[in-house]
Order: sequence, then C-alpha cells, then structure tokens
Amino acid sequence: MSAADGLRRAVIATAGLALAAYPLARPDDAYGQSVLIFAFLLAVMAGGWNIMAGFTGYVSIGQSAFLGIGAYTVALLSLRTGLSPLLLAPLGGAAAALVAAVLGATVMRAREHAFVIITIALLFLFQTLALNLEGITGGSNGLTLPLPTWDRDIQNLPFYYVMLGLLALSVLLSWWIRRTKFGMGLIAIREDEDKAAAIGVRTSAYKVLSFVASAVLIGVAGGVDAYFLTFIDPRGMFDILVSVQLVLAALVGGRGTIWGPVLGAFLVVPLNEASNNLAAAEGLHLLAFGLALGAVVMFLPHGLIPTVRAWWERRHPGPVPWERRAPATTAARVPAAAATPRRALLEVAGLAKRFGGVAAVDLCSFTVREGGLTGLIGPNGSGKTTTFNLVTGMLRSDDGSIRFDGRRIDQVLPWERAHLGLGRTFQVTRLFPRMTVLENLVAPLRGFSWSNLAADAVSGPEARRAEELLDLVGLAPLAAQPAGRLSFGQQKLAELAQVLMLEPRLVLLDEPAGGVNPGMIEHIAGLLLELNRQGITFLIVEHNMPMVLELCDPILVMARGRVIAEGPPAAVQRDPAVLDAYLGEGWGTASRADPSAPVEA
Amino acid sequence: MTHATETLILGLLTGGVYALLASGLTLIFGVMNIINVAHGALLVLAGLLTFELWRRLGLDPIASAVVTTPVMFAVGWAIYRLFVARIRTAPVSMTVLLTFALAITLEGAMGLTWKNVFRSVTPGYVNQSFHLGPFFFPKAQVFGCLAAVAVLSGLWLLLTRTWAGRAIRAASQNPQGSALVGVDIRGVAALTFAIGVATTGAGGSILSVLYPLFPASHYLWISRLLGIVVLGGMGSLPGAVVGALILGVAEAFTATYVSTRWATVVFYLVILVVLLVRPQGLMGSRLRGDVVT
Repeated sequence: MSAADGLRRAVIATAGLALAAYPLARPDDAYGQSVLIFAFLLAVMAGGWNIMAGFTGYVSIGQSAFLGIGAYTVALLSLRTGLSPLLLAPLGGAAAALVAAVLGATVMRAREHAFVIITIALLFLFQTLALNLEGITGGSNGLTLPLPTWDRDIQNLPFYYVMLGLLALSVLLSWWIRRTKFGMGLIAIREDEDKAAAIGVRTSAYKVLSFVASAVLIGVAGGVDAYFLTFIDPRGMFDILVSVQLVLAALVGGRGTIWGPVLGAFLVVPLNEASNNLAAAEGLHLLAFGLALGAVVMFLPHGLIPTVRAWWERRHPGPVPWERRAPATTAARVPAAAATPRRALLEVAGLAKRFGGVAAVDLCSFTVREGGLTGLIGPNGSGKTTTFNLVTGMLRSDDGSIRFDGRRIDQVLPWERAHLGLGRTFQVTRLFPRMTVLENLVAPLRGFSWSNLAADAVSGPEARRAEELLDLVGLAPLAAQPAGRLSFGQQKLAELAQVLMLEPRLVLLDEPAGGVNPGMIEHIAGLLLELNRQGITFLIVEHNMPMVLELCDPILVMARGRVIAEGPPAAVQRDPAVLDAYLGEGWGTASRADPSAPVEA
Repeated sequence: MTHATETLILGLLTGGVYALLASGLTLIFGVMNIINVAHGALLVLAGLLTFELWRRLGLDPIASAVVTTPVMFAVGWAIYRLFVARIRTAPVSMTVLLTFALAITLEGAMGLTWKNVFRSVTPGYVNQSFHLGPFFFPKAQVFGCLAAVAVLSGLWLLLTRTWAGRAIRAASQNPQGSALVGVDIRGVAALTFAIGVATTGAGGSILSVLYPLFPASHYLWISRLLGIVVLGGMGSLPGAVVGALILGVAEAFTATYVSTRWATVVFYLVILVVLLVRPQGLMGSRLRGDVVT
C-alpha cells in the first residue's frame, strides 16, 4: 500500500503544480483558462456535495442552489457598497451557510427521502424568489456586475488563482472533516443512523453542521463566479443542470472519498465542453448528462477511486493477524452477591407502545437495581426488544414513564440517554461494517462539545482505552480489520466493547449469546461477570436459559407486553405464571383468574 | 363572496386533477420506497403525446386518456425492467439519483422531439364555461376533474377489490411477509411501477387541456406533486387526495388574490413547513421502523 500511497502523492503534487503553472506557461489561452476555472468551480461544488452525500449519506439534488445564493448575495452587496466582489465572496459563503443551517433543521427529524425533496424545493424556491423579487434581483433581466478593475492583460488570472485556492480549501476541508470526531460521526450516521444515536452521536446537530459545511464553499465560489461571469440571472444561477453535473462529478470520481469529486470534475468538464461544441440544441446537452448520470448510477455506483482501490486490495491482500489468546478474564464464576437491596437505577412504570392495533408493550413496569445482572426473559413476541427500544429511545413510548437514576428520560433523545450512561447492544449486531474495529470503538461519544467535534477521530488516550477494551474481550489482534469481516460472535464482543467506551452505568444486552458458539458463550458470560464486578449494571435479554439462570439475579419475566413475574432464578423457574407464559395457558395444574397479575417472589 | 366561492370551487376542481397526478407518485413511494423524480417528466411526455394525437388525428385530449394510459403503463413497465429493477436493493439515495437522471434524459429527448416551445391543446370547449347561478366554471376544468375522479376511482377499486391490488397493498405494508405467503414481490413491484406511471397517461392527457406544456415544465410539476404528497403523507393515497384538494385551493386563492407568479411558492413552502413540523404529513402513519433489532 505504501507504494500506492507514494504514487498517489506524486500524481496529486504533479497535477497541482501543473495547474498552478498553466496560466503562466500559456498566458494567452483565455479559453483554456476559463474551462479550467469551470472545472475548479465544479470540483468545489462536487466536494461540498460529497460532505453531505458522501460522508453523511444524505443526497441532495438541489445543491446548485448554494451557487446562486452566494452569487446573488455577493452581486447585490457589491452593487450597493461598491466593494469588490472578491472581497465580499466570503459573505456569499455565509449566506449559503445560513440557508443550509435553517433548511438543515428540517432534516433533524426526517430521513433521507425527506432531505432529497427539501433540496429540490430549495433550488426552485430560490429560483422563483430571484425571478419574482424584481425590485431587488432584477427578475429575469438579471444583474450586471462591474467589470474587473485590473489590467485586461491578466483578465482571467485572479479568478483562476482564487478558484484554484478555493479548490485547495475544499479538499482541505474534506480531508480535515474526515479525520476528526465530527467526520467519524458523519460516517457513523451514513452507516447506521439509529445506531449512531445509540452510541451518543448527536445526530441532529451533526447533520445540520454537515449540510452547512457542504454549502459554505459553494456560496463563496458563487460570489467569485458571479464576478467572473459579470452577469447573473435566475435561470443560469439556480440551474438544475449544474446540480446534475456536480452530482455526476462526485459520483463518477467516488462518493465519500477526498479526491473523487476533484477527479470527477476534471472528467465531467470535457464532456460538458464536447456536448456544448457538438450541438447547440439544449436537448442534446441534457440527454448526454442524463444518460451519463444514469449509466454511472447503474454501472459504477461506487465511483472510480473506490472501485480501483477495491481492485488493488483484492490483488494485494494484507495478512490477517490472528493469535489464539486467552481472554483477559479467567476469574472464578461466582454469581454477584445480590443480597443487599440497592438503589434503583432504571425504573419503568406503566410503559406502553402500540403499533396500530398491536400492543407490543402494555403497562410494563419493572425496576433494575444498581450493581446487578438482571435478566429479562419471556417468549418470542412478549415485547422485550420493544422495551429495550423504548428505554434507549429508538422508539417513542405512547404512555408511561422511564426513569434513569431518578431522572425522567422518556422524552430525552437517544444520544442524550447514551450520554447519561445508558448503553445497549443489538440482537443482530449493528457495528459499522466498513469501519475498522478500532474506529468502531472510538466512535461512541460521551458528550457533545464543539471542541470535541474538531478533535482527532482516533486520539491517543481514547485509542489506548479502546485497545485495553479490545484486549479485555480478546479482539486486540483484529483492531485494524473492517468490522464487517468479523464472525458473528466476534462482532458481539466488539459491540460490547464499543458500548463500554461510553463508560455506561447500565448496559442493555439484547441476546448476547444468541447465535454464538458454546465456547464463546462461556467467554461472554465470564466477561459480563468481570465487568459487573467493576461496577457496570446489566439488563440482559437472553433465551439461553442455563446462562440466564447461572448469571442473572433477579430475573424478570415478560409476557404479552408486561412483566408478569420477578425474582431469583429458582423462584421464577417454579412460578406457574411463567410456565403458563412459555408453555401455554392451562399447562399443568395452575389455572389462574388473572394470568397477568404480577407475582411477588 | 361570490368571487371567493368561485375561487374555492375552481381550486377544488384543480385539486381533483392534482389528486390523480399525485396518486402514482405516492403509490410508487408507498410500495417501493422510491421517489420517482421522473414522474413530472412522464406527465409532460403523456401531455405531449396527447398533443400529437389531437394535432394529427383530431382526437379529443381527455378522451385520448384511453390511449395514453396503456402507453404509459408500458413505458412504466419498461423503465422498471430496464433500469429500476437493476438497482432495487440500492439505498434510497441511489434510486432517487436514477429517477433524477431519467427525468433529465426525458427532458432532453422531449426537447429534441418537440423543441422548447409551449404546446397547448385547444379543443372547441376550451374557452367555454358552464353558468350556474352567479358562477362560471370553465368546461375544460369540469371535464378534467370528472375524468380524474373517474380514473382515481378506478385505481381505488383496482387496489381494494382485486387480487393484484391486494398483493400491491400487502407488499407495501410488509414485503417479506407478502413473499412468504406467495406474493411474487418482483412482479408486484413491476406492476406497481407500471400502474403508477400509467396514471401519468390519463393525468397528462387531462393536463394538456388545462395548461400549456413544454419539456422543462416537468420541474414545476414534480415540485407541485411532491408538495401534495408530502402534505398528505408520503405513500398514502387518501393523503394525496386530501393534500391535492388543500393545495389546489391554496394555489387558486394565491393566484387570485396575490399573483399567479407566487402561486407555485405555496408548494415549496408547504414542503419545507410540513417536513419541519410534521414529517409524516396529514395522513401518513409512522410505522414500526425497527422490527428486528
């Protein structure tokens, strides 16, 4: 890989130098310079789009609106103040960022498809505003900017270098985002948004910031572009074809990569020039770009850079280090002493959740005490996982209350619950498959702060803590592997370690032993006891009865959406209500008037 | 007051047509989780086909829905088989880019075929009105709305009274479950897409009498329809009808009392406000998102 890295650096450096030297070498080539200026502009826009669509996973098809917003802001300010548009260009970026922040708020609650629709509305709303607010924007007559003040001999040069500078800035921004906590949060959102929230990523703020970051440089470039063109009008500046071109550029180069949008822009611009020169007919131009975009979506969805990289990695597979290691915990299996009554950590009262006519959780009440390993068992469909989803906030409850450490949390957002010290794992593991195991472990966030956003994605102390935890669960040799390559049992361990990074006070485990081989079950059980001894409280949903009976005390039994029995393993095992729930009504001798009445053990 | 009542009724007549136009979009989203950005372009295509039928053969535009609907059904089927089916399992973002590419391609192809000029279909009744007491109703609006209601009713019967319709509704609610009880999910998806696109046949025919059409006007239509579908609740057919009537009226009042130029802004604002305040729309339901976690 280092040979490939070196080659890549050499190519980038050579290309950068060639572009910087081009106008000096051919000062009279005004056409070539303006084509390159457009390529830089397109690369800046594609790079911006890539932050939202490539990193965060939210596709916009109205991204060119920010070009128009920047252009109009700068043009209007320049005409009013007489200042140079180049000086005012940053304000174009500020305007674009502001619009993105406001619109970003609309996607805080909605998902992918809503965002796509919003971006279409954004583009056409601003186009209509620019057309209709004639008093300000000149309507369809457009606005004419003053001609550049500098010598005609160097006419394009300032635009050329400013745009090239913006391109460098855009690459730098993407590169910086990608290596920070912020960028890692964005990738986590792209891979699995609910999971990201469950490990403490404040998804709403991340999405809005990502949209702002994707808009700001496009706004600046819009201001520069307006000055370069000296004339702007609503149809030219809020042009959906520009959106097509920038999406095509980012997609063909490689969505989610740093250099893909740049590479793509330099591929799309020749296509643009060719179809411009070949036919004046607008239809052909659209046809060419429509077909090109369709072809890329269908046949090269990952883009050039990731496709080539995947091919390279297939040709040069790295070794997978693996040594058999004894788990770090070999402590004797002594069940936790549950004799002394402890403080209630999680109190659920009257919880209810209906899906249409199905009451998945129905007046469910229970308490989890601090320091214990509490089991939660019950037949399939009794509402265990839904209860987990309600407690962690992945679902909103219809009724009832949830208190964590005395504080009511049923209206608190999922990431905030994670910050309070509530962690969970999933029945079917939900690691971020394309991140490495180590990256998965450092993705959880214990809080939200602005300075933390800019922190390195994998920082020293955190990486050490992650390595300790990987050592504890016995996965240290696999730290650099993509999580998707681990076996299911290894993924369970990795997800447990991931949750532990939150330094949780209570961990909800959804079937830690489900689908895992017996040797691994032993290992996991030992781990849980060790962690419990270190002070972490567990609530465990599990169908592996020997494990539950050995590990957990007390055990809660759920049936038909509520807790029907509670007590130490031996008592629960003999409880007729529990037998009823598992084996059907009327089994054995027990026949009770009210099968759902809680049984005090 | 008379003026306001007339505006209201005109808005409802327009809304009835919008309901048909939006029905296919919401159906495809509800069953397949695909935002068909090309819906507007297909609508304009059907309108321009109607224009040709009228110009060359003198066929009545609204009646030519009988021709355009099966034609667009076939177009929808072909689009599904050739393009959409190939990336069915891709995330929403990729399918939306595909339908976006399709919209641009169709616009380009229509631009080459029909040039970028407005095309209007003007049968004899286009400038005539019904007089009812103090009110005047353009005949084209009335006929258009009646035809739209007839087609929508047919669609509703198809979805609720036939096996195919039941399979479509089942697949929209639980694809895996439907597959387990023997519903051919891929066949249903193709059928749904084709039916959704077929509504643009009748819709485009009706539209051609009411509005001048040109290739790039599809952006206006997809924006309007997305506003309606978002307001009603993505994927809900009754929601689309309610959303269409509300926005038809809102647009009519804006056009009458403010300016026609601001009428379309209503749709953009509705999209932004609804997604901000109530993302599930008026009649969309929030379903169980995570069954297996």
